[in-house]
Parts: sequence; structure tokens; C-alpha cells
Amino acid sequence: MNFALSRPGRFIGALTADLKTIGYRLAAALVICVILTIASDAFLTANNLLNVLRQASLLFLLASGLTLVILTAGLDLSVGANIGLSACIAASVMKLSGSALLGAACGVGTGLCIGVANGLLVALMRMPPFIATYGMLWVVHGITFWYMAGTTIYGFPAAFRALGSGYFLGVPIPVYLMFVFLTLGAFFAQRTTYGQEIYAIGANRESARLSGVPIARRLILVYTVSGAMAGLASLVFLARMNSAEGDIGEAFTLPAIAAVLIGGTSLFGGVGTVSGTLVGALILTLVLNGMNLLTLDASWQPLVTGIIVILAVFLDTLTRKRAEARK
Amino acid sequence: MNEIAMDRPSRPVSAVLARVPGVAWILGLLLIGFSFFSRDFLTGPNLHNIGLQSVILLILALPQTMIIMTEGCDIAAGAVLTLASVMLAWVLVHDGSLPLALAAAMATGLIFGLANGTLVALLKMPPFVVTLGTMGVAQGLALIVTDGQSIVVNNDALQAVYGGNLGGVPLPLLIGVAVYALSHGLLYHTRFGTYVFALGGNAEALKLAGVRANAYLVAVYVLGGLMAGLAALILTARMSSGHPTAAIGMEFDAIAAVVVGGTSFEHGKGWLFGTLLGVVAVGVLRNGLNLLTIPSSAQVACIGLLVIVALFIDGLKGKK
Amino acid sequence: MKKLVLSAAVLLSTAAYADGEKIAVFTKNLTNPYFQVVRLGTESAAKQMNATVQHYVPTKPDSIPEQMSQVEDVVVKKPNAIVFIPVDPKAMVAGVNKINAANIPVVNVTDRAAGGKFVAFVGADDYSLGLETARFMLKAMGGKGNVVILEGVKASLTNIDRVRGFKKAIEENPGVKLVAEQPGNYQRLQALQVMENLMQSFPQIDGVLAANDAMATGAIEALDAANRKALVVGINGTKEAIDAIKAGKMLASGDYAGFQQGCLGTMVAIRELRKLPVPKEVVFPASVIHKGNYQPYDVMADQRACPKYEDLVK
Repeated sequence: MNFALSRPGRFIGALTADLKTIGYRLAAALVICVILTIASDAFLTANNLLNVLRQASLLFLLASGLTLVILTAGLDLSVGANIGLSACIAASVMKLSGSALLGAACGVGTGLCIGVANGLLVALMRMPPFIATYGMLWVVHGITFWYMAGTTIYGFPAAFRALGSGYFLGVPIPVYLMFVFLTLGAFFAQRTTYGQEIYAIGANRESARLSGVPIARRLILVYTVSGAMAGLASLVFLARMNSAEGDIGEAFTLPAIAAVLIGGTSLFGGVGTVSGTLVGALILTLVLNGMNLLTLDASWQPLVTGIIVILAVFLDTLTRKRAEARK
Repeated sequence: MNEIAMDRPSRPVSAVLARVPGVAWILGLLLIGFSFFSRDFLTGPNLHNIGLQSVILLILALPQTMIIMTEGCDIAAGAVLTLASVMLAWVLVHDGSLPLALAAAMATGLIFGLANGTLVALLKMPPFVVTLGTMGVAQGLALIVTDGQSIVVNNDALQAVYGGNLGGVPLPLLIGVAVYALSHGLLYHTRFGTYVFALGGNAEALKLAGVRANAYLVAVYVLGGLMAGLAALILTARMSSGHPTAAIGMEFDAIAAVVVGGTSFEHGKGWLFGTLLGVVAVGVLRNGLNLLTIPSSAQVACIGLLVIVALFIDGLKGKK
Repeated sequence: MKKLVLSAAVLLSTAAYADGEKIAVFTKNLTNPYFQVVRLGTESAAKQMNATVQHYVPTKPDSIPEQMSQVEDVVVKKPNAIVFIPVDPKAMVAGVNKINAANIPVVNVTDRAAGGKFVAFVGADDYSLGLETARFMLKAMGGKGNVVILEGVKASLTNIDRVRGFKKAIEENPGVKLVAEQPGNYQRLQALQVMENLMQSFPQIDGVLAANDAMATGAIEALDAANRKALVVGINGTKEAIDAIKAGKMLASGDYAGFQQGCLGTMVAIRELRKLPVPKEVVFPASVIHKGNYQPYDVMADQRACPKYEDLVK
């Protein structure tokens, strides 16, 4: 069977390659778990593992949309600021209207609008994604700081808070969200034309354009999705923290990007999976959890995160080079 | 020796004018606007301040221009600058010799530059990822070495560097001018510069020609590291201390200034003077907003708008 | 265009107060509610005394180079006086020196700068606050049990003193055991995560000493989510903390008197300009807000007005 020619063949080929990348990473995650079990008694407890899953879910929700953006060889630096504004708007609407549902809708809506703005800048104005989303980051922060005026919005209904800190059948609710969006994301990326076009844009934009892929519309789509997912993540975050302040979310941007990269998605575009991002988020969260359990100073966290990112991508680059050499 | 005919940009006056980036128009507008609305803006002391405030960013942004021209980026620059500043302060406190401290700072920059360059050029890893990693390492080291505290420095030589002047021009500005001259010379008048232009355009062709493109690519990142070390001198002098979070994030400002100044991520097009304009525009904007006491949240938004509007104008002019 | 219209509007609005003193107020960031309360205090004091304040806050939170630049820019503008909270007590000394060189009177508020000449220092006694708040909690614990300390920003003077106070109180209670001491960087999310992890390692935690309210509320969220109970105290006396105290979730909070610090700092600056006598240093005594005495503190900061100068200084 000539994998290069047939579309279903290519799809299957891609899937097996994906399973391999994910497989290696899952193995790495397992190794980390083993090391942590030995290093700390507190690791292998139900409570701790559920906490890790909960934290990883939040990171994954944010990073899943980002994966699609990076697949098109783009970048979204504004996701952290996005969380901030979306959470603050959601909180504010919830308080003013008394309706958690309305607040939630406004939160996701805000995230979506920021995403659309990014998409327009990148697709229609042809700005480099790095710069366009960097500019948006500042604008969004400015709006958030002005709106919040140094205040805190706190105290939300228990039903809403369950979204972030609640359990269902013993498992934290964000974990269910994680699986829902994992399925949706993987399906979208691998099994819809939209998804295939996104991969094509990342792999070779010119060829994609010549094959008739509507580049601008797809780019706007991925940035919109990234923004909406940030809006959703902001709700989970708000529910967990039970409060909103102007500066929340900023700390998540680089970890989200790191999760995507550790998960095997390439910044050059066209390579990577949503499931890989989930494993990447898990790996990153596990390591940070381990550092906390071993009461390692928080100062070590950026260092360790940095090294893991380099290692993960280094291994990826090696395997990719070997795969190319074999062809 | 076989040399491939490299396309070095020729620069007749009309070509330069056509390339005036959006930021130049914005800078002009800002200068006029602030002079009009604030009587303090166009004064000697204020312009002096803008210069001093912008110099550190300029020293970071100039090598960043070349890195971006090779289709890369260095997001570790701010963290490396911070670490170098901490090392400089540490050496000054423990030894007192300014040349030694400067050497330590530049050695720090050199090591990170080498690491970045090697990973990018020889292992072919994406620059964003590599420098994301080294950023974490530098940041972590700075926090660990200082335990989160400032290292206070009381050193006359250091203050002389920052506060002194030569013929009326402040020394830090002269350092900035020197770095600009060095960058200009490297980029437009050496083989290294030719290859920097080429690396962004066609690295494959370079390799086929037997040219050691990789060595030059490493050199670009090394230059970035060394300049971060040099900038640490001015940063530490400015605060009379080394602080572990002082310049975190400054590389994004530098990259924004570079791109806004007309250098493109994708086509090896670069313009050093544009970077200078971009850095000055950011400095003028921040200074003017402070003089007009614009509320801080509006300032935050304005900085983002500067970047977006500048590129928007460029997009309208069809420059891409 | 927008920038020009904005600038015009600002200029016109300040022209109305042309005969009042201009006080430049420097705070650390836009997002910590504590500094917002301080700013409101400065505004209220200025209004009462017929002066105006102009706020300078770094666009990058807690950025030292930026506050330095703002100091330089403001010195060019020559405000009549400055109320100053340094982003870093050591690194900003160079900035204070610049203010001194320009002969602008400056009052130091909240974080004691490590150098430079000030008209006065207005702040709270972090050590006593830590001590009294901790004593209150340990007493409520009956003098025995396991406690954890959630530290703030390591390098911060306020943190160092508050934690010293905590530890002294623990020393005074031999039945109390300090099982862990972890930094939360004054951040809510970090404190929540640290608390979650601590709860894994230590099944029995009876009390949490948090160096500020944001971390205290983070710890409370973590405890709630895990269905565990512990006594939690914080410091700052924010409205959120007071609501938590009312609801029985937080035991107490040390009153950092941010509003009063802003008030008095501005009043001292204006009095200095008007050649009235000013104290060299005012350190507010420690008072602990708890369920029995929260009523006078339970006011939204933007509805407060500064107390009289004489009341603040005694």
C-alpha cells in the first residue's frame, strides 16, 4: 500500500506515527510517576493523583486550543491575558446578573472575541502571530486592569464552584472536561476536513493554498478556538479560585506553550496532536507536583521546566531526523 | 575561493524612503504630540532620560535583529541579562574590580549564547523552544543564586560608568552608539553580515556551497549573549544592585521593537536603523505617557496598540 | 488620535485644580487590592486638603526598571511632593537619590526603603502584626496542634518581619508544632496549590498562618475543596477577608491599615509643603480583626474618607 498517495492511507500512517510519539511520552510520564513514588510517600495517594489530574486538566484546556494554532506554524502569546479578562468579565456578570450561566457565557464569549481579534490580525492583516498576539496581550491586560481597578470579585455559588473544585463519582469535574475536549479535539484534528486543512497549512502553506484550502478562514478559526478554550479554562480557574483579580492567568501562558511543545507539536507546524498536548500537560504537572511534594524551592521551577522543554524537543528532533534519514 | 554572489541590499535614497516603516510615522506623531501637550517633553533632562532608559533595550534589540533575520528568535535574552546583572553585582561585592565583573557578566552571556546557538544550529531545534528552555534555566539560576534578594552594590567605578559623560554625552549612550556601530559594521560590511542576510533567505544553498553556515548561526546567538552581558553593566549601574527579576520579559519588548522597526520573521529582511526607531518609539511612548500622567491601565493598552498599529500601517502599505 | 484626545482630556481635568499641590504617588502594581486601597487613601486625603494626586504604577507589575523610569520622568515634571512605595526596598534607593537630588520632598509608605532621605516613614509594624495575629490563632487553638506558615515574597521586608512575628508566637506556645513553612509569594493560586500539597504530606493541620489575606483565602479554598478544617489567619484586613471572617471561614486578619497609610502619607507630604509640623515616623499599632470587632472595618474602601490627621498620628 502506498501510504503517500491514498488519503486514508496517509491518515492511518499519521495515526500510527502519532501513537508512537504519544507512546514514548506516556512512557516518560510513567517513569516520572515511578520516580516520584519512590521519592515521596505522599505522591501515590488518591488525593494527590486527583489533584495532579485536576491541575493538568486546567492546563490542557488552555493548551488544547493552542495546539491547533501551533499546528498552523502560529503562536498565541495572549492566552494568559485572555484568561484574566475572561474570568474577570465572567465574574462580574455573574455578580451583576445573579446568573452563573450568563456569566459563564460571557466569559467564553470574551475569550472567543479575543481569539477572533487575533485571527483577524494574523489572517487578514498578515501580521506575524508572535507580534500580533503579543500586542493583543498588552491591550487585553490594559482592559482588564482598567476594568478591575485593583479590586477583587469573589464569592460564587456552590453550583458554579463545583466546576473547578467539585467531584463527580470521586473524580474532579475538570477531568471530565478534559476528556470531553480531548475527544472533541482529537476528532476535529484528525477526522474532519478542517483538521486536515489545518495540518496542511502548517506543513506547507503554499501547497495548501494551491490545493484550495481557504487559509485566512482556517487561521481565523484556530485563533478563535484558542481564544474560546482560554475563555473556558478561565471559568474552571474562576470556579476553583472562587475569585477574580486583574493579574490572573498570566502565569499560564508559558506553561501552556511548554505543554504543547513537550507533547510533540512542532513550532514549524504540521506535526503534532491534541492527545500529545494532554500528555505534555500531564508531564509538566507531574514534575511541578513532584517539586512541591519534595518541598523544592519554587525558584527551581522555571529551571526544571526549561530543561524538560529542551529535553523533550531535543528527543523529538532526534527521532524526526532519524525518521527522515530512513526514508 | 568560491563565493556565491550574495544579495546584499543596495540602499539608494528612494529605496530607503519607500522602506520607512509604520513605526517611523508613529514616532514622528508621538514626538509632535507629546511636545505639544507636555511642556516638559522636549527638555534636555527629559530627552536625556529617554536616551538612558532606552539604551538597555537597544543593546538587546540590535543582536535580536540579526537573530530574527536568520528566522530565529531569542526569548532568553531578558533572563540572561538578569543573570548577568546578578553575576556582575556579585563579583563587584566580593572582589570590587569592575573589569572582572564585566568579564563575568559577558562570560555568562557568552555561555548562554553558545548553548542557544549550538542547540539551534547543530541540533536544528526551533529557536523559540531552545530559548524558552534557556530562559527558564537563566531565570532559575538568578533566583537560586540570590535567594530572591537584591545584591546591593556600592561601587564608584560602576557609578562613574553610568553617571559619567564624554564631551557632554552620557557614557551609557556612548556604549549604545558603539554597539550600534559594531552591529552596523558586522551586518553591512563583513562576511558574517552577508551570511546573516543569506541565512534567513536560503540556508540550504549556503550549506551546499560549503560555507560553514552553522558557525555563523551560532555566532549570531553568541553575539546576543555577549550583548546581554554588556547591557548588564548599565542595568546594574542603574539600580545600583543586581536583582533576580529585573529584566525578565525584556526580550519581548526587544523583539517587538525589532519587528515593528521593519525586520521580518520570515524573509531575512532586516533593518538595523528600523530597530533603533522601534526602541526609541517605545521609549518615547512610555516617557510621554508618564509625563501626561495617563492612567497606568491605559498605558498598558497603548503599548500593545503601538505594536499593532505600526504593523497595521506596514500591512496597508503592502510591505510583507 | 485616541492618545491625543486622551492627553487633552487629562490636561484639561488637571487644570481645574491649578492652585492645589500636586502629589505624585508611586505604588507597586495595578492588581494587588492592597495598593488600590492605599491609592484610594491618598485620593481621599488630597481631596480633603485641596490638593491633587497623580498615580504612577508600572505597567509590568513590580518592575524595577519601570519604576526607576517613572521616577526619572516624574522628577522632570517636578511635582510638589512624592508619596513613595518602592517596588524593591534596596534596588529603588537609586531612584530615591534622584528624587532627593531634585529637592522634592518624599514620604516613604508601607515598604521601608533601605536608603535615601525621606520626610517621614508611614507604615505598619509587620512584626507586631504577625505576632498578634498568630497569638490570636494559637490561643483559639488552645495552645496546641500543628501549624503551617505560608510565606509571602521571600525577599520582601514585610514578609521577613511577619514571619518573624509568627515564629515568636509559636515559640510562646510549646504545645504548638510548626510542621511546614512554604512560600506562596503572596499569591492566591500559589497558596492554594501549596496548601493542597501540604495537606497530602500532613494529614493533621490545625492552623494556617498566612502572611497575607490573598494566601489565606487560597488556603481556605484548598481546605474547603478537600473537606478539611483548620483555623486560618491572614494579614491585610481586606474586604474579602472581612467577609470571610463574617462567614466563619477565616478566623482573623491583621489590619494592615492600607487606607490609613495612604491617607497619612499624603497628609504628611502636604503638611510638609505647607510648613506644618510632621512626625518623622508613624508606625500603626497592630490590631487584629476578628468576628467580634469587624464592624468598623467592614466598609468598601471607595466609600471611606480619611480620618482626621490628629487621630492618625497619635
